[in-house]
Amino acid sequence: MQKNQRAARVLSSALALGLVSAVLAGCSGTDTPSTADATAAPSAGGTLVYASGDAEPSCLDPHVGGNYPQALVSSQYLEPLFTKDAEGKIIPWLAESTEVSQDGLTRTIKLREGISFTDGTKLTSEAVKANIEHLQDPKTASSTGYLAVGKVKKIELPDELTAKLTLSAPDNALLESLSMPWTSIESPKALKRDQAANCAAPVGTGPFKVESWEHQKQVNLVRNEDYVAPVPEAGRSQQTAYLDGITWRFIPEAATRYAALQSGEVDVIDNAQPDTISSAAKDNALGHLDAPRPGASNRIELNSAKAPFDNAKVREAFIRSLDVNAGISSLYFDTAKRSYSLLSSVEPLGISDEALFTTDVAKANALLDEAGWTERDAAGYRAKDGKRLSVTFPVSTNQSVPAEQSLFQQFQASAKAVGFEVKIELLDLSSWYGALAKHEYNLVSAPYTKVGPSVLRILYHSDSTVPAPSGYFANNAQVKNDQLDKLLTEAEQTSDEAQRADLYAQAQKIVLEGYYVLPLYDQQNHFLYGKKVQGMGATTTVSSPTYYDVFLAK
Amino acid sequence: MAYLGWAARKIGGALVVLWLVATAIFIGIRMIPGDPAEAIMGGPGSQASAEALAAARAEFGLDRPIGVQYLMYLGKLAQLDFGTSYSLKRPVTEVMGEVLPNTLWLALVSLAAAWLLALLFAAASMRASRLGSWLGSMFEIIAAAVPHFWLGSVLIMLFSSALGWLPAVDNGTAAGLLLPVLTLALPLAGFLTQLMRDSLAAAMGSQFALAARARGESRLMVFWRHGLRHASLPALNLTGWAFASLLSGAVVVEAIFARPGLGRSLLSAVLARDIPMVTGIALFSALVYILVMAVAEGIEKFIDPAGAGA
Repeated sequence: MQKNQRAARVLSSALALGLVSAVLAGCSGTDTPSTADATAAPSAGGTLVYASGDAEPSCLDPHVGGNYPQALVSSQYLEPLFTKDAEGKIIPWLAESTEVSQDGLTRTIKLREGISFTDGTKLTSEAVKANIEHLQDPKTASSTGYLAVGKVKKIELPDELTAKLTLSAPDNALLESLSMPWTSIESPKALKRDQAANCAAPVGTGPFKVESWEHQKQVNLVRNEDYVAPVPEAGRSQQTAYLDGITWRFIPEAATRYAALQSGEVDVIDNAQPDTISSAAKDNALGHLDAPRPGASNRIELNSAKAPFDNAKVREAFIRSLDVNAGISSLYFDTAKRSYSLLSSVEPLGISDEALFTTDVAKANALLDEAGWTERDAAGYRAKDGKRLSVTFPVSTNQSVPAEQSLFQQFQASAKAVGFEVKIELLDLSSWYGALAKHEYNLVSAPYTKVGPSVLRILYHSDSTVPAPSGYFANNAQVKNDQLDKLLTEAEQTSDEAQRADLYAQAQKIVLEGYYVLPLYDQQNHFLYGKKVQGMGATTTVSSPTYYDVFLAK
Repeated sequence: MAYLGWAARKIGGALVVLWLVATAIFIGIRMIPGDPAEAIMGGPGSQASAEALAAARAEFGLDRPIGVQYLMYLGKLAQLDFGTSYSLKRPVTEVMGEVLPNTLWLALVSLAAAWLLALLFAAASMRASRLGSWLGSMFEIIAAAVPHFWLGSVLIMLFSSALGWLPAVDNGTAAGLLLPVLTLALPLAGFLTQLMRDSLAAAMGSQFALAARARGESRLMVFWRHGLRHASLPALNLTGWAFASLLSGAVVVEAIFARPGLGRSLLSAVLARDIPMVTGIALFSALVYILVMAVAEGIEKFIDPAGAGA
């Protein structure tokens, strides 16, 4: 099932203003502030205070490193070449049009005319070249964006507005990759500054620009008075943003953030937790934006490279022993919908198979008996040849919210009933990556955000079991399957959209039916906002909200 | 001369302590899993290329043998060069200089508030009934024992969420400072009051207090001129320790109330394995601690003739 893609930047403003609350209510199942306000005419002025619970980025340029907190803030001042429309279709944004050669090896991108960066530099094809080269330069230290443009081998500029990219292999995910904030286009003149200067105030074409950065406190964004919308919205009273600016605060404590929202000190908070969303739903003054991230669903991966999960029966037994739905429903206060897919519900090419994941304790027991785990030790756990059926589950406290950690503890208890010992280890992010790099895990939950189904190749191709220089590898389930590899490679290279969908469907079936993965829910991404805030709902392709349409009620 | 000798011994001792702290940090942070080069490349789990990692290692000298790295590290510290933050790519001293005033201000105001509260509690306990006194000491014990993160969250829930009287996050105003200061000051005040109460009771019951009363001084005058001076001494001796405890409390309080400061820098630096940043802040904290203790001791020696000759 596909959720509504809310890349509503291209919706006409009348549509956005009239329907956004209805769309949101339909999507999130929670109330937005009184709909009477939402139909009010947009009024310009005022500064919105945003409170982020994420770690403060060390660099405001999302080319450097490249994580979600950077995407959240940089989408206000940087724009990508492509985006998605309300139906989830990739459309040009800073680009005007694009075409690919028959062999899929040459991608031509034509830019829109008349767009300028906030330092006065004109948007030309030179910028495309400078940005891709910036991403590929080891000195930039990009770890997300450089993967997205990894296949670009040569960039030629036939004219001022045209860039011709030569690829090392066909890549039908390139436009999706170029729609992500981590590959946004910055002023080539600004990129020539040293990295510290560029990190402090990246220069883009977006509706806002970075005015100043008070470290540990806030980033001050002001309206770009010369903003030209690449795809103009009809009926807007002004083509520039309505807000005078955004104060982008960093408030790490969830309880403090919510208290600040309730008392009106801030207007929007991110990383809203299930208990808060649930209590906010009872508070008519607060709105809720549920924006699941694209890419992979949140899921537990079972390490098939080592015992006991090298046996598919044991993997299925583990999954069948858990009552996932009851746990999610109670611990997430019904704010998260159960997923049966490898991909996020915003990904049109994701497939679901509920029957594979229904709870069946009797079957779990039978499977374990078949797999030879028939002994029981003194503590009541199953054993084979005197060895206990024990699995290690390192959990990152940075990536797993308290509700999820409680959910995993419930799983621990249900798995014990059929004879599994689950050892949950709560670790900080570095130690957690350290444990994964050393293969000290049987179970793991690792989020992955990316636009499009090509994330499947990153997560399940056997190439991804080979560690990066840092020791990182993405294929945590350690799936190594020649047929799957072939499907994933073909799916990435075909130029036929129907064939692409079919190949990815076959690939997903192999992973789902192999019980390598237990899907839980979409990557949760909830925002709460105060009564004054109107017009919330538009997001980038990675579901980070944009504030071009947002205004403050007087 | 004796004073100079004392100062020289103090400085020598301080240098040894700083060297030990620096060495402990160097060893400690390298024993934690995680590659420092990843911290440079935007955090753990980076998918940076081999070239990018190699470039980062070379830039920060991480490709040298560990012994060489240690000597280079000490050599730079000796020149007061704390290096460049891995994650922020800015000089450590610059980052610390930016946030230090916030933390010092918070600590000083909290220290003053703790003293004020402790004096009020101690004075009140003198006049209180037995039940009142018992309740008072229960309150002190609880106040001294509550963790900062708990107290801070409760204060926010009470005064920001429920009552809406005070801002939950620091907004630069005096009102914004009130909750963080209370969070730091209340436990310390409980501790200081406990220290003062016993010696206050002893002083107020002593011969000189009786004599003063006999001379016709009011009870309040006696309390103020004699009782308090005696009672304050044990607590004053602990001011160095108290200041250090406020600095460590700042780590929690700055995170809860979203205040910029040294504590918050330390927390994010530890999580990001930002070795230069952690080292800089830890060494600075050790230095502050040594300084406060030495100044307290120095003043004591200067004032007290019996001690100076020793």
